[in-house]
Amino acid sequence: MEATLSAWARPRLWLVGTALLAGVIVGPAAVALLTLYGGGAAFGTRKAFALGALALGFGVIGWSGSIFAGRGIESMQRHLDTGSDWTEADSRRAMGRIAGFGGGMMVGVSVVEPLV
Amino acid sequence: MASKRFVAKRLLLLVPVLFGVASVVFAILHLAPGDPARVIAGQRASAEQLQQVRRELGLNRPLWIQYLSFLVDAAQFEFGQSYSISRGAPVREVLIDRLPVTLELAIYGQLAGIFIGLPLGIISAVKQDSLTDHLTRVGALTGISVPIFWSGPLLILAFATYLDWFPTSGRIDSTLFLPNTWTLFGTELPLTGMVTVDAVLLGNWQAFTSAVHHLFLPALVIGIYSTALISRMMRSSMLEVVRQDYMRTARAKGQGAKITLMKHGFRNALIPVVTIIGIQFGTLLGGAVLTETVFGINGMGLTIVTAIGALDYPVVQGTVLTFALLFTLVNLFVDITYGYLDPRIQQ
Repeated sequence: MEATLSAWARPRLWLVGTALLAGVIVGPAAVALLTLYGGGAAFGTRKAFALGALALGFGVIGWSGSIFAGRGIESMQRHLDTGSDWTEADSRRAMGRIAGFGGGMMVGVSVVEPLV
Repeated sequence: MASKRFVAKRLLLLVPVLFGVASVVFAILHLAPGDPARVIAGQRASAEQLQQVRRELGLNRPLWIQYLSFLVDAAQFEFGQSYSISRGAPVREVLIDRLPVTLELAIYGQLAGIFIGLPLGIISAVKQDSLTDHLTRVGALTGISVPIFWSGPLLILAFATYLDWFPTSGRIDSTLFLPNTWTLFGTELPLTGMVTVDAVLLGNWQAFTSAVHHLFLPALVIGIYSTALISRMMRSSMLEVVRQDYMRTARAKGQGAKITLMKHGFRNALIPVVTIIGIQFGTLLGGAVLTETVFGINGMGLTIVTAIGALDYPVVQGTVLTFALLFTLVNLFVDITYGYLDPRIQQ
């Protein structure tokens, strides 16, 4: 049971975790860039955090949307003969990474916000 | 009927969808140019006044606290008060007032799509490669391709301006008045806010006729895309089903062609179409934004356009989340129907 759970969780954690880590690194970098080229630290942190929230929201909607309507979209593509290779599973994986990245970015920005 | 576990799983999925939408709304409002404090305090407000408004709105708190606080409020559907379009009125009241208007429009658009699109798709499949089939396919392709901001003004120009058959805007004749309540067995109940339904509840047939007259063009405009997509999907699905072995077996047993088609073919062909009906309900809601703007109908669509222009953030947040909730609930209903049509889905 434990082994099954671990086998199920490990690739998912890796998928989201690596993206989250990337987000944590990119978040402060985005704050620095936006502060330099945007118009002050408040502007930089606000916009960088919002960008992270956007990626998180987009990823979560995409992930749950893939589960909600993935089968229907696969079926529609088959019926409309679109020739697309889009699958529900691929979409879920991609969206998981985007959500992880966005969440990481928000964490990264929140950590540096008191410093700037 | 759909199993409880299946429905519970679908209901659980509503949580991440709404969380995601709330996050996107938060992000967009913080990315958008403009300062809500300035909208409330006015263009001539001093720096101290602006700071005061920011403190009151909690805009001076750390971003992650603002985000969490926004999520908690969104979970309770609490968006505060409108900044400008209904200044001072709770957003919840604004939404309750405008939601039935959009729902009525979307429902009629959807009904037009179902009742016109399904028969067209079936006829097109049954009469494959005939003139009827070609005309239906061209019509469907045109319907999918034509945007509402073009078809709306065009229909207004043709049927309202030149032919004078329908009114250009509004929901009911300005001379007619509907009360806020109706009586059922001596009990006063609130009306729904959907003029056609309210007119029936009140037994006011003159108002009903006027409402249908006013809603015809907007519902047609919003339903064009839906009709086109449903008919195209129905045709394709039906063509696949009629080639199945069980259809041939039913015919071989002596069952009539029409009965075989409607009894065995229709239900099976309906499965992918039902999913599409759910998915494109979102398009209908998006279409409502354009249709309401074109026809001057004061529903959620026109409200969100006005609120964005006036930087009325609480109204924008409330409207977007209501749209998302509606969309997910419709898809939940569609999923349950899907499970009923094809019990294998529930496994």
